[in-house]
Amino acid sequence: MTVAVPPAGGGGLPGRSSGSGLADVIDTILDKGLVIDAYVRVSLVGIEILTIDVRVVVASVDTYLRFAEAVNRLDLASQQQGLPDLLSSAPQKIAHGKSKGVAQGVLEAAGEKLQDLMASYAEEPAPRTRRRQREED
Amino acid sequence: MTGSTRQSGAGDRAEAPPRNTACYVYGILPEDVEISEDAVGVGDPPGRVKIIRHGEIAALVSDVDVDRPLGRAQDLVAHEQLLDEAAAEVPVLPLRFGAVMTTPEAVVEELLAPHHDSFAAALKQIEGRAQFVLKARYAEQPVLVEVLTENAEARQLRDRIRQLPEEVTRNERIRLGELITQIIAAKREADTRAVVERFEPVTVGAVVRDPSHERDAAHVAFLVENDRQADFERAVGELRSEWGDRVEVRLLGPMAPYDFVTT
Repeated sequence: MTVAVPPAGGGGLPGRSSGSGLADVIDTILDKGLVIDAYVRVSLVGIEILTIDVRVVVASVDTYLRFAEAVNRLDLASQQQGLPDLLSSAPQKIAHGKSKGVAQGVLEAAGEKLQDLMASYAEEPAPRTRRRQREED
Repeated sequence: MTGSTRQSGAGDRAEAPPRNTACYVYGILPEDVEISEDAVGVGDPPGRVKIIRHGEIAALVSDVDVDRPLGRAQDLVAHEQLLDEAAAEVPVLPLRFGAVMTTPEAVVEELLAPHHDSFAAALKQIEGRAQFVLKARYAEQPVLVEVLTENAEARQLRDRIRQLPEEVTRNERIRLGELITQIIAAKREADTRAVVERFEPVTVGAVVRDPSHERDAAHVAFLVENDRQADFERAVGELRSEWGDRVEVRLLGPMAPYDFVTT
């Protein structure tokens, strides 16, 4: 009896090829695009901190230590190198445990932190823009 | 759906906005576009999106309350989503997040009128084209194994770190991490160059972005003709299967040509 009606515009949206997270959005719209001197900027909340974190994440001591840690925990078996002593005691996949994502960027952490904020937005109806009378050609 | 406290009615003729309201500008489009009634933008509640026309061009705008800070996750996403969905249909010159002008008149007098000709020309240039962003990232384990295999100093440092207690190897660990970062940066440079060259036949422009992660293999914005989009996506698929588990490849888009507009 009841018919499940998909939300308006369902299926017909021009594709975003893959889900782009908040981190991707930040990468794009805070850093790129036209800037015109004439406009007045209103206050921005939280953005400066996020973007600063993004810059720092490449090549900091913290990054170095995380890389070193990841290497230290690397499963030696996958390296085709003879290090018998260490190997014999640890055939299990050490590298999948604690070190998983050990070198993950601050950017992703920031994205995750704000993910709950994103949840509500996903429901909103999709806006559309189109050209007037372009169908004729 | 519309802000109950604002007096902005449904009419799109020039109405005097309340004093604490300003005009948030998303981007520049050709004059002959239409926006659907339910399009919403930044702000809380989200402002209804309107079009301000001048000559051959138009600005995509919405009212925004200047007393309320902008920059929540929803605002960022609303800005990009509106522009990207527009860009899938019509040429759009995206403005950077946060462009707010005092009134609709100011949008015409200070933005559209003075730049009319260059905006119109730029819109013609991007007609039928959209941006894609390729994000490629080395998988952690494979790239670290590669680094250790290729570099003797890294192997020695790793061995030393393993043999000694953690408290005495801080310098070695920093040196090892720095070395890994440098080697990955060199790989990134080579892979990025290869990616740009590889896609040259199916794209009309490429802008290399700064890496956003220490394991980035390539981070490149491409401008793609709409009728080459399938070829481009096929080429990305080929790259993805060639790289296999070594590199994770993501493709974003179509989106507005953020990386290809300059002031």
